[in-house]
Amino acid sequence: MTTVAVPIRTNRRKIARRILRNPLAITGLVVLVLAIVLAVFANVLAPHEPTQTQLDQAFAPPGTAGHLLGTDDLGRDVLSRIMFGLRASLHVGLLAVATSLVIGVPLGLMAGYFRAIDALISRLTDLVLAFPFLILAVGLAAIRGASLGNAAIAIGIAQIPGVIRIVRSETLRLKSLDFVAAAIVEGASDAWVLGRHILPNAASVIIVQATVAIPAAILGEAVLSFLGLGIQPPAPSLGTMLSDAQQFAARAPWAAVMPGLAIMLLTLAFNIVGDSLRDALDPKASRR
Amino acid sequence: MSRYLLHRLWQSAVTLILATIVVFAGVRALPGDPALALAGEDRDPESLRAIREQYGLDDSWLVQFWQFVSHAARGDLGQSIRTGEPVNGMIAGALPVTIELSVLAILVAGVIGVGAGVIAAVRRGRPAEWAANALALLGLSVPNFWLGLMAILYLSVALGLFPASGFVPFFTNPVANLHHLVLPAMILGTGLAAVIMRQTRSSMLDALSADYIRTAEAKGLSPRAVIGRHALRNSLIVVVTIVGLQLGALISGAVVTERIFALPGFGKLTVDAVFQRDYPVIQAVVLVTATAYIVINLLVDLLYSVIDPRIRVRGES
Amino acid sequence: MKQSGNRLRREHVVTPRLVFVTAVLLVAAGCSPVQPAADGPTASDSQSDVFGEPADPAQVKAGGTLTVALSADPDKLDPTLSRSLYSRYVFHTMCEKLYDLGPDAKVVPQLATALPTIAPDGLSLTIPLRQGVKFADGGTFDSAAVKTTIERHLTLAGSARKSELGPISAVETPDPNTVLIKLSKPFAPLTAALADRAGMVLSPAAVSKLGANFSGAPVCVGPFKFANRVAQNSIKVVKDPQYYDAAKVHLDAIEYRIITDSSIRSANLKAGDAQVADSLSSQDAPSLQKDSTISVLQSQSLGYQGVTINIANANGVGNPLKQLDTPIAKDPRVRQALDLSIDRAALVKSIFNGLNTVACSPVSPKSEFTSEAAQVCPAHDPAKAKELLAAAGVSTPYKVSMITSNNPDSLRLAQALQAMVKDGGFELVIKPVEYASLLDQQDRGDFEILQLGWSGRVDPDANIFNFVGTTGSQNVAGYSSPELDKLLTDARQSTDKAQRIKLYGDVVKKLQQDEPLIYLYRQRNLTGVSKKLLGVQTYPDGVIRTAFAGFAK
Repeated sequence: MTTVAVPIRTNRRKIARRILRNPLAITGLVVLVLAIVLAVFANVLAPHEPTQTQLDQAFAPPGTAGHLLGTDDLGRDVLSRIMFGLRASLHVGLLAVATSLVIGVPLGLMAGYFRAIDALISRLTDLVLAFPFLILAVGLAAIRGASLGNAAIAIGIAQIPGVIRIVRSETLRLKSLDFVAAAIVEGASDAWVLGRHILPNAASVIIVQATVAIPAAILGEAVLSFLGLGIQPPAPSLGTMLSDAQQFAARAPWAAVMPGLAIMLLTLAFNIVGDSLRDALDPKASRR
Repeated sequence: MSRYLLHRLWQSAVTLILATIVVFAGVRALPGDPALALAGEDRDPESLRAIREQYGLDDSWLVQFWQFVSHAARGDLGQSIRTGEPVNGMIAGALPVTIELSVLAILVAGVIGVGAGVIAAVRRGRPAEWAANALALLGLSVPNFWLGLMAILYLSVALGLFPASGFVPFFTNPVANLHHLVLPAMILGTGLAAVIMRQTRSSMLDALSADYIRTAEAKGLSPRAVIGRHALRNSLIVVVTIVGLQLGALISGAVVTERIFALPGFGKLTVDAVFQRDYPVIQAVVLVTATAYIVINLLVDLLYSVIDPRIRVRGES
Repeated sequence: MKQSGNRLRREHVVTPRLVFVTAVLLVAAGCSPVQPAADGPTASDSQSDVFGEPADPAQVKAGGTLTVALSADPDKLDPTLSRSLYSRYVFHTMCEKLYDLGPDAKVVPQLATALPTIAPDGLSLTIPLRQGVKFADGGTFDSAAVKTTIERHLTLAGSARKSELGPISAVETPDPNTVLIKLSKPFAPLTAALADRAGMVLSPAAVSKLGANFSGAPVCVGPFKFANRVAQNSIKVVKDPQYYDAAKVHLDAIEYRIITDSSIRSANLKAGDAQVADSLSSQDAPSLQKDSTISVLQSQSLGYQGVTINIANANGVGNPLKQLDTPIAKDPRVRQALDLSIDRAALVKSIFNGLNTVACSPVSPKSEFTSEAAQVCPAHDPAKAKELLAAAGVSTPYKVSMITSNNPDSLRLAQALQAMVKDGGFELVIKPVEYASLLDQQDRGDFEILQLGWSGRVDPDANIFNFVGTTGSQNVAGYSSPELDKLLTDARQSTDKAQRIKLYGDVVKKLQQDEPLIYLYRQRNLTGVSKKLLGVQTYPDGVIRTAFAGFAK
């Protein structure tokens, strides 16, 4: 093959060092890791069953013995629900983004690489973009019932055009670079070029897109919950907790404030990490 | 240029036709139908039949599709099955509200986003960047219905600064109109502000490291003047791009904002129509949104070539 | 006599005066009315209802626009076609009815001057009309208008009134002030129907001009007339100077603003952007009750919330029944067990702040057809529930899935039920569905059990027959009992009050044995009203009466 080295733009250690120099990024990373630990080990760490109702203990304020963050309208432990809620929200975020990547990345690669199908894929992208997302989400929930998976899929579909656009333009850029052009001239198969040259080099852009898309998906789930299209009760997600709690925000503000803070910290952490990652991966940023 | 325009128009037509077909089939694939949603708890088989007959819901899809398309082509979007109002009127009433709300939100977002973005880029690595960054990211991390509710509880109910709901048309009373829209526009604008801030920051960083700026600096222009001039042009491009790209997000955000503040806008019309299976309204909504999307993106592209001549060949790549 | 309908609103002590008025009517009519009301007050727990009081004209100033925050968008503003409950809130200010409902759920004359006199065979009703009344378009209200309207209700495509009006064979106009309705079969619920949308009288001129598009510019007789409507958002009515009792109308206009989220409705009320808000959440009520600027009106709904069990609705409503092959569908003991494992009192207390009331039957304790037998309630007994499940040969925990509406209140209820029935040996799986899908699944029989309520009507027949009668249009349980059908048909055709009371008691007994529908609680309609506003009232029909309200001086 070619002697042109595949230029993964910046090496991993350099990226890591750049991120670790940024205190905001470290904070974000720590919060994110903490959230993931809480979510993954929720069944071990949570003091209560998240769905266990104790009607006689409804609306216990934070600090009540046994309920560090208080209880909600059905006497369920808010802390435990937040832990499981984190899990559900992360689940939605990851599933949505996975959906958008699985569909969007191949389409984006093809659109950028094969001029022939670019037009077709662009029309599909336009279609999704021109279609009001909520109609799609409501429709999906109506057809398949409200569930975590369906919410994630609806959000994922809405995120596909973004992925396609980014991957397409990155593919276009990479295709014009010498080492790819050289590979094409040397007769490498399209699949080889796409899989070995373009995809690895587009990876950083895709990763950045994903870190930004996850928090957007988590917020998207909250909006769907607000419209009654969230996950199936009694399982909690941060979004359903928030939209439930606004019914009694005046009486038990903690039940609304706590998941609100949780959702904010989680998405904030993702956004910060995504932002720092973008900067760290961006060669231009290092010039200054 | 005209050939390019022709090409774009052709593409737009394809998108529009696709959207029409998808929404037409899509709404009919939903469980339940307008008759059922309309009859609600007061339904009996006979009246369901009567409603279905009245609105031609029993006809074959092909017939219904032809009815819809042939009327739509003549500019008649039909009649709401739920309220009996002409859909044209419903949309004509709702669209200006959402447009005004969106324009105000973009304004709010533009001012905050561009400001914070420029600061973040210029004061890179200093506390100011931090603050600007944190503010923008915070805006991106708060669920907008939650923010809206808090705003109503604290700014409207507790302090009485803004009305909690309602809408006054601009031409009836501009002051009251703006007073009603300030809060919703700010809520809707926060997320957008964050997006604009990030884009502005990165495009500013690009610009600051670009050769022509260095040249300008080398020529002895003061850094401030260079930043000022280029920042403006760059931000314009950013705002224009984002408005084009985020239109869908803006309308989705408007749904929630409009619902919370009881604004008679397009977003609220959309979701309510879906919940009520009001086929003609849903179809019209999608048709109008798709058209708006196409037109705005076309305008954005044209604007691009005005703002930045370098991108004039876009669409060829 | 002419004054009787309105005297209601003016008097502070409403009930005794009403009894007196109806008693006089009875004597004057010399014939037995359909809804005899002179038998004294029926048993009820009205002490906790707060209906509000009529405005004292001395304390009210003229003018002002009232904003009402409405929880749902009304559908067509056409009394013939309208189906949504919320349209009634708007109609009551612009479309008066032949009869109205008093605060005690009894029928009183409105555009009629007396309750109908019924021929001994029950096949004809004579209704005397108010004179000197004008429609909002200036047309004269007379028997011809009533005839046109009722015929429109009976014949217009998509009419929602047809079934309410029953077997009407002809409407005659012996003179301009009298309407004679002929029936092919006796139909006791007719008078109550005429106290709802079926009794609203439309302007014949507007009907002939607008036809089926009447809702675009509805014209009736009322203290207010239609001004405009903004899709999905608001409806405005303005004072009608031609109204026959215009002196009693204080407000200039009323704007109904649609705000679907209850917490936001109550925020609007607190912020003063709306002066009236309907359907408050029982979550918001306590804080609003503490607010010194707001009063909360309460009236117990005539309907119910309940859980329907799919017994034999395998093919969809209206199609032949087919027994489902699940324990809960086949064995009444399993359904009884489900009933016994629900602690209604705890439900009402903890989920709804004690604002709703326990219900075990479709007959409202407010109804004049209630009786002790109709209000019997099985005690909460999870141990017995488990025994019944064992006896039925069902292994516990027995898993049943329940579809429910996806609004916050329904979801809270579902989750509380889920926790409760666990003790009785049930594992309840909640499937939240958006409203139109819920109706669809319900009618297709695509559910195991479902939670949904009924807003309630005045006559018990309208709250029972359609839901559990074999041929009921909403018999989504697919329940069929010849015994119950006979009881219901007898009650429907009887004009003897005592007999109807007895029959409905028997109906309840039978329903509690077979349990096609487990009644849970009766909702209390909570309406928030700013104290700046006087004279807003709610009655058991759930309609908020704002027409004669006014701002305090």
